[in-house]
Amino acid sequence: MRLNDAVIGAFLLLFALAEIGYTATFPKLHGQPFGPDLFPILIGIGLGCCGVVLVVRGLQARARPFSIGASWITLGDWAANPRAVGNFIIVLATLAAHIPISEIIGFPLANISLLFVVLLRLETAWRPAAGLAIAVTVFIHVLFVKLLLVPLPSDPFHIFAPIDDLYAFLRGLIVNPS
Amino acid sequence: MEAFLAALALVFDPFVLGVMLLAAVFGLVVGAIPGVTATLATALLIPVTFFMEPTPAIAVIITTVTTAIFAGDIPGALLRIPGTPASAAYSDEAFALTRKGQAELALGVLLTSSVIGGLVGAVLLALFASSLAEVAFKFSSYEYFWLACLGLSTAVVISSGSAVKGLVSLLIGLFIATIGIDLMAGHPRFTFGSAELSGGVSFIPAMIGMFAVSEVLRFVTTTARGRADAPQQPLRRIFAGVAPVLWRYRLNLGRGGLLGAFTGILPGAGSDIAAWISYGVSKEFSAEQRKYGSGHPEGLVDAGASNNAGVAGAWAPALVFGVPGDSITAIVIGVFYMKGMNPGPTVFQQTPELINAVFISFFVANLMLLPLGYVAIRLSRRLLSAPPHTVMPIVLVFCVVGAFAINNSMFGVIVMLVMGLIAYVMEENGFPVAPTILGVVLGDLLEESFLASMIKSDGDFSGFFSRPIAAALGALTLLVWLSPLLRLWFRRRST
Amino acid sequence: MTPLTRLLRAAVLVCALVVGAQILPMTGARAEYPDRPITLVVPWAAGGGTDATARIIAALLERELGKPVNVVNRTGGSGVVGHTAIALAKPDGYTIGVITVEIGMMHWAGLTALDWRAFTPIALYNTDPAGLHVRADSSWRSVQDVLRAARARPGAHKASGTGQGGVWHLALAGMLRAGGAKVTAVPWVPSKGAAPGLQELVAGGVDIVTSSVAEADGLIRAGRVKPLAVMSADRLPSHPDVPTLLEAAGLPWEAYSWRGLAGPKGMSPRVQAKLVRAMERVYASPDFVRLMKKRGFGVAWAAGDDFADWMARSDRSLGKVMKALGLAR
Repeated sequence: MRLNDAVIGAFLLLFALAEIGYTATFPKLHGQPFGPDLFPILIGIGLGCCGVVLVVRGLQARARPFSIGASWITLGDWAANPRAVGNFIIVLATLAAHIPISEIIGFPLANISLLFVVLLRLETAWRPAAGLAIAVTVFIHVLFVKLLLVPLPSDPFHIFAPIDDLYAFLRGLIVNPS
Repeated sequence: MEAFLAALALVFDPFVLGVMLLAAVFGLVVGAIPGVTATLATALLIPVTFFMEPTPAIAVIITTVTTAIFAGDIPGALLRIPGTPASAAYSDEAFALTRKGQAELALGVLLTSSVIGGLVGAVLLALFASSLAEVAFKFSSYEYFWLACLGLSTAVVISSGSAVKGLVSLLIGLFIATIGIDLMAGHPRFTFGSAELSGGVSFIPAMIGMFAVSEVLRFVTTTARGRADAPQQPLRRIFAGVAPVLWRYRLNLGRGGLLGAFTGILPGAGSDIAAWISYGVSKEFSAEQRKYGSGHPEGLVDAGASNNAGVAGAWAPALVFGVPGDSITAIVIGVFYMKGMNPGPTVFQQTPELINAVFISFFVANLMLLPLGYVAIRLSRRLLSAPPHTVMPIVLVFCVVGAFAINNSMFGVIVMLVMGLIAYVMEENGFPVAPTILGVVLGDLLEESFLASMIKSDGDFSGFFSRPIAAALGALTLLVWLSPLLRLWFRRRST
Repeated sequence: MTPLTRLLRAAVLVCALVVGAQILPMTGARAEYPDRPITLVVPWAAGGGTDATARIIAALLERELGKPVNVVNRTGGSGVVGHTAIALAKPDGYTIGVITVEIGMMHWAGLTALDWRAFTPIALYNTDPAGLHVRADSSWRSVQDVLRAARARPGAHKASGTGQGGVWHLALAGMLRAGGAKVTAVPWVPSKGAAPGLQELVAGGVDIVTSSVAEADGLIRAGRVKPLAVMSADRLPSHPDVPTLLEAAGLPWEAYSWRGLAGPKGMSPRVQAKLVRAMERVYASPDFVRLMKKRGFGVAWAAGDDFADWMARSDRSLGKVMKALGLAR
């Protein structure tokens, strides 16, 4: 998605004005001329100036009829391709829904199924996709949950119980050799 | 000498070397995964070190951190997804080499310069720990302010293309850094009542989003199958073309190592900032400035050496004064106390063999990095040889888990998602994303040092030049900022 | 067997398996607490002091309870995020956490509505009194010198040690108030913690740092920093030559940072009692005393309702100082 510089510039200008306006709600440091609002205001001024420059540039580009920025917005060629649009949505959905789904069905099952679906969607054959999905999930489980103690949503079905047992056994060998 | 020999015997013990090897593998794995920081890895080692003798306990931490910092370069060079923040400064440059089919050279240069930089840092630490720590105590908020300014000027260097767009990108990063409870007045800024946002946008999820998620999005929307821009490479002859490059840039190696070690000693600076500054300095003083950004190994030599040297630098104030140089040495100080070493000037008299063991461990860890790093690079060739439509979904789930692990909450994942979309739109429109990360890294330091300085001097700007080091750093900063104008002026006069 | 009945049987089997998997841990839960790993939430970052004590406690609690105790850092928002996470967890005893002195500060600052009442107290295990530190070559030799200078030239001398409104800032403000100076007579230069504050002190950027004596220990022994007083009832065993504020200047002001173990409100008394007993044994164990002492952390004990009383007192006294400083909203 390519936007004309003027569109981006105008957006930056509006954002800068809103941001500077919002800093008025910040408290002052007692007895100091500088407070928590100083830096946001400076950043806002900087963004605003850049916004003006971009607006000017964008308008110049529009004046030249056959340049890249001649139209306000140019969608990438993928926008016309339903498959690419679908891919885009699936990636975002996976990112957003992975943890919430994990909280219901547990991380292992959620990760295996989501990874499997995305792999299939991107045209990996189903056998390698299933194998990879399981292997990667086991790797993440051992590394993050067991070794790094990251509390990924727990699994109500205990499908990785054998792996946990094996890990506990190996850990016992290293920590308490006696 | 006696203590040194005793320390040698302590480190070259089969058990100690064995656990160092395990720690090196651990460090390489966690370093290569975006989202798992060296700090987290170190914190998790603490319960393990409970049951160990002092020497293996300290050696394990040193080895993990040393290898993790290098490992972050591997996904940075191969996928343009840096594994640790310290690699973010130059992953564009390294990936440009990969795109030209020179991934072997990129990784070979990064590995060897990391090892050499690490050794430089270890030598400096071993010989001058006390004087290095003294340097740290010359730095007050004025000096930190100029250091941050110097770091910011790197933004111009790393943004190829439009200067205005680079500046916008930097300002976006600085804005993101202002989100959260501000240190000066304790006021929640731009949080809109969200407790999670009041903690600020931690920059690991931001980095994963801007580099990894945007890369995945770009890939899945490319209609052509496969990535024509990163050709398959065997990653076999990793050290082949390295020697001439290192010899050619031998001065850069030394400079990167020194800069890294000095930045590392300063509490609050550390390896991440060291890499940015070194890369910027490298380009500023290079005879071939124009080649930067298009796959030129010179900057990699500087920055690769610098972040590994910074790891050792952070130990100087920790050993000599018990003041942590970064969050990792903060943990290390705790381990020291538990193991009966009391950090402070007396540590050199009380437990000389343990101090020497620290220095030797740094040496051994860096030497171990050479073969193990080679193996890691060899194993990582699958990242290039496997079809990207298989690699990208796996990257995607690692992103989710890594972003979750930062605060163990969904919030990190949301930050990553939002930043990924922003970065995607930015790159589509010719805005470089690296300056945004730089802004997030330096924003806090810049603002805090500025406001603290103003409070100290009661609002008098002359304070920024009132101390010798501050004045020198300030002059250097202004020179760097004005140098394009000066160059223009000289060129005009000569023609 | 028709395909339909085969399908039905398969479906029943799957359901039974799923339900069985759900019930198994539940029947376990009715058995003796704890029967699965416990999560210990730390509201501060890995590597900090609270994290260090939490990891000591976790390792020792694991030994007492016979189940893994996993430390989880929930950082952000000056402690708001982590404290909220503990308070909002299910009060089943499987999520507990370390709560710190900031729980008595952040609600005064208007950052959250949460205060100590939202927790089931288990035990206080650590207090560290504030120390008053100056540069070793400073002309000030006593607390009186500092107070005199603050009264004579308000605003001329600067202090640091933590962020604006942090516990060490309040410690200094409380001392100034008790000593007859204005609380704003020594402007506060915010820093990210005691270490950067002490560095600023040694570098000559500020004149005073308030922080725990343990945090300054390395620099004190290096002869760079001198402690003038400690703001506690008794002298510290680790620094017996440093007078208390009462001895040094006759000021009845004490300031501590503290850490304790707590769970969400509404935990069953049985689980609470079990955890208190386990903590009691941890606290009495030689390992705990040794590790805390090595690291320079002070130890203190108050369990159950005594801990609640401690939190209530701390809350009131911090609130007073914050109002005087204009930090309360």
